[in-house]
Amino acid sequence: MNIVVLLKQTPDTESVIRIAGDGQSIVTADLKWIINPYDEFAVEAALRLKEKHGGTVTLVSWGPRRVVESIRTALAMGADSGVLIDDPALTGSDGLGAAKALAAAVQEIAPDIVLCGSRAVDYDLAERGPMVAELLGYPHLGLAVALDSDGSVVTIERPIEGGKVSLAADLPALVTMGGSHAVWNPRYASLPGIMKAKKKPLAVKTLADLGVDAGDCGPDAAKIRITALEPPPERAPGRIIDGGLDLDGKAKALARALREEAKVL
Amino acid sequence: MKRLVDERDVKFVLYEQLRVDRLCDHPRYADFSPEMFDMAIEQAEKLADNEFYPANKIGDREGCRFDNGQVHVPAAFHQPYRKYCEGGWLAMCDAPEVGGQGFPVVVANACIEFFAAANWALLMYPGLTHGAARLLERHGSEELRELYLSQMYSGQWGGTMCLTEAGAGSDVGNLRTKAARRPDGSFNIEGQKIFISSGMHDLTENIIHMVLARIEGAPKGTRGISIFLVPRLRYDEQGQLVDNDVNCGGIEHKMGIHGSATCVLNFGENGRCIGYLLGKENSGMRIMFDMMNEARLFVGMQGLAHASTAYLHALQYAKDRVQGSPIESLKDPNAKRVAIIEHPDVRRMLMFMKSGTEGLRAMMHLTAYCLDRVRIAQSDEERELFQDYVDLLIPICKSMGSDLGFRVCETAIQVYGGYGFTSEYPVEQFLRDCKIASLYEGTNGIQALDLVGRKIAMKRGRLFKNVFKASNEILVKIKANYRLRDLIRIYEEAQESLIQATKFLGLKSMTDEFHVPILCAKPYLDLFGEVVIGFLLLWQAHIADRRLQEIYKDHNAKDAEACGQVLKSNRSAAFYRGKVASAEFFINQTLTQAAGKARAIMNNDKSALEIPDDGFALV
Ligand SMILES: Cc1cc2nc3c(=O)[nH]c(=O)nc-3n(C[C@H](O)[C@H](O)[C@H](O)COP(=O)(O)OP(=O)(O)OC[C@H]3O[C@@H](n4cnc5c(N)ncnc54)[C@H](O)[C@@H]3O)c2cc1C
Repeated sequence: MNIVVLLKQTPDTESVIRIAGDGQSIVTADLKWIINPYDEFAVEAALRLKEKHGGTVTLVSWGPRRVVESIRTALAMGADSGVLIDDPALTGSDGLGAAKALAAAVQEIAPDIVLCGSRAVDYDLAERGPMVAELLGYPHLGLAVALDSDGSVVTIERPIEGGKVSLAADLPALVTMGGSHAVWNPRYASLPGIMKAKKKPLAVKTLADLGVDAGDCGPDAAKIRITALEPPPERAPGRIIDGGLDLDGKAKALARALREEAKVL
Repeated sequence: MKRLVDERDVKFVLYEQLRVDRLCDHPRYADFSPEMFDMAIEQAEKLADNEFYPANKIGDREGCRFDNGQVHVPAAFHQPYRKYCEGGWLAMCDAPEVGGQGFPVVVANACIEFFAAANWALLMYPGLTHGAARLLERHGSEELRELYLSQMYSGQWGGTMCLTEAGAGSDVGNLRTKAARRPDGSFNIEGQKIFISSGMHDLTENIIHMVLARIEGAPKGTRGISIFLVPRLRYDEQGQLVDNDVNCGGIEHKMGIHGSATCVLNFGENGRCIGYLLGKENSGMRIMFDMMNEARLFVGMQGLAHASTAYLHALQYAKDRVQGSPIESLKDPNAKRVAIIEHPDVRRMLMFMKSGTEGLRAMMHLTAYCLDRVRIAQSDEERELFQDYVDLLIPICKSMGSDLGFRVCETAIQVYGGYGFTSEYPVEQFLRDCKIASLYEGTNGIQALDLVGRKIAMKRGRLFKNVFKASNEILVKIKANYRLRDLIRIYEEAQESLIQATKFLGLKSMTDEFHVPILCAKPYLDLFGEVVIGFLLLWQAHIADRRLQEIYKDHNAKDAEACGQVLKSNRSAAFYRGKVASAEFFINQTLTQAAGKARAIMNNDKSALEIPDDGFALV
């Protein structure tokens, strides 16, 4: 089976995120970068498919050179090769622009199936998978918590309110991964895996290599712009009701605060 | 927040201080790159965080269970153990020819810190297997290696070191386990060992014991000791695994490391226990010494790792716990309450923990790096030089690692206040788990004797001279930094105090007052360790200060206010400033005491020797 995983590099979920001076981006210096956890589930699912059917797992990603580290990590987990689209023309592009570039790279590989996270832990837009599927004309199955394929059809399970639904589509298809770490339990890269990863092919491509017009997917083509980023409000400190009141008075003041301010009563 | 190991500081030691990237220039490590080192460290952290750490508290509560000769480890240990072995971590720095991954020792050491901080009791199982496998690799016959080695390096089988007996603890030479020659060249083994870590457990189907015993007729004392490979299940003539009469008589109930099985082992109770000689007859102690360096570094790593996680836990707690008001408004009952990290005394404790942990980290990884340099030395002289560094530093790593590590754990409890004393919070377990490090692998008292009685005197003091020759070469460069001049002055005074104390002990050892160096061995080791840590932190401050000045320059920060702004907004700048602060704190607070400590050694106080035994207490 010819399997593609779309892989994005995101800041470690434990990183301290700071907003840059422009108010529209984050400070990227000193960040620790990881594979988007949902994409890591996709790598795991891809490797399981490969274990069952044979074939290859190709990672496709876009971003700056540092993304190579994440691709190598997925190679160390067991994927076979990687493609990184690294083109300055993509800086400032929106989700659709990036999806166009990714779709072009996937097209060259002509896979049986494409897997990726349902969302990324950075901007949480949940749009990449559906967009790439649309651009490729593939069916899109979202939020899989289980996945299987006989080589011509893919079936997935996804949770719905109060139950589960099973979906099937003919290949080639694109599936986005839902669930959690506990559902997919992605494997760790082993030390022999790390040794092997170094020798696995990793192609760095530009938009021109992919035959994509930069004007089509660069910042000028962007339909969406980030206008402002704000940190979540700081948690207000707790309030202690005292004010020299007796027990009764304190209880009343508390009840009032709960009803009128917190509006929970 | 990550609470095992400060990964940024690990990288600082590896790449900015020790420049381990240069190891890749050597043919032995030519297949590696810093990116691969980083990837390994990242995976180690992940595995430690996700798999080892969650089993740490459970292992402590559940402990090991002895049931009719079998020992059950905490159930939660099985999965992380398997994943650790599958990942190839057990033999990370061993040669590929024997099933290892071939990484540099120093990088493996960096990974060990994560696993050790996450769950030391669990790490002991593969840790001991590794030591036993190394011993087999280096000293076993080809036939034995063929039969047992690969299963050990893969973690399929376990391994142990069996030295201790009831009458032979520190005094290994007193052991009584017997070996009787059999016609086929193997030996019948008979005797009892106690306190054997991983002696029996259900993580692996077989366990390969390395047993010290005396061949019948061999001389008394350490000169008559041989070392044997004694499998729990051995291969018979048909190549079948059969029981080898090694039985577990029980396990200890301990203060800490509850998840690690500490076993009484009876060899040959039924006269059917066979052992295979490693190396030559009566060379058991020499072989053991050969392995000792790595085992002792490993125990030093335990102290470092516990310090590391205790510090990071305390740091987080200090940021979260709100109590008391700022010093300026102490008397104002309406003053806002602050997190305890605002209190000077809490900051002092945190700095003690930070500087101690970072100093230990630098010392451990430097020693591991020297082991790499021994491996890849281009000439005999170079090899000997780096081996000398290792030999001198090892007892200090072991003893300082465990003692200072324990003190950092204790301070973590202090930062937590009363909560730290309760089992609701994790720091009391760190303290209990850490304590054993000053006892096993040779008590710290024995480490001090090794330093004073052997290492300092070895090769007419050359080890000592070589270490200070190397550090002085670096010091010359540091001295160019005028911002560090006060620290350098204190360091140089401390170093001089150490040299004086060393000379004093050397002279005393040649007189009839030779008890004095033995009496002062431990305080001397502590003084030595503090000077080493002071030096390593000073070296780090020098590197960090250079980086910091570059960042200030990049931000065009010319005055104190502008620099202060940079420190607030730039995390790298804060990190480097923190490194300088570690050196400032340790050198000002601890190294300033070196002269007093040297004086305590040199004033020939013999009260502890002269006091009559009854004088200790009339009880
Ligand atoms: C949890 C645990 C795990 C262990 N694991 C192993 C293992 O896997 N394999 C193994 O072989 N052993 C193991 N041991 C044994 C351990 O190495 C010994 O306990 C240790 O060497 C000390 O010996 P001892 O307990 O008999 O103390 P003793 O030797 O009786 O020492 C008591 C005190 O006297 C001091 N002392 C003794 N002799 C001298 C001297 N000549 N000069 C100065 N001071 C001296 C010591 O420093 C110590 O303070 C383990 C012990 C424990 C508790």
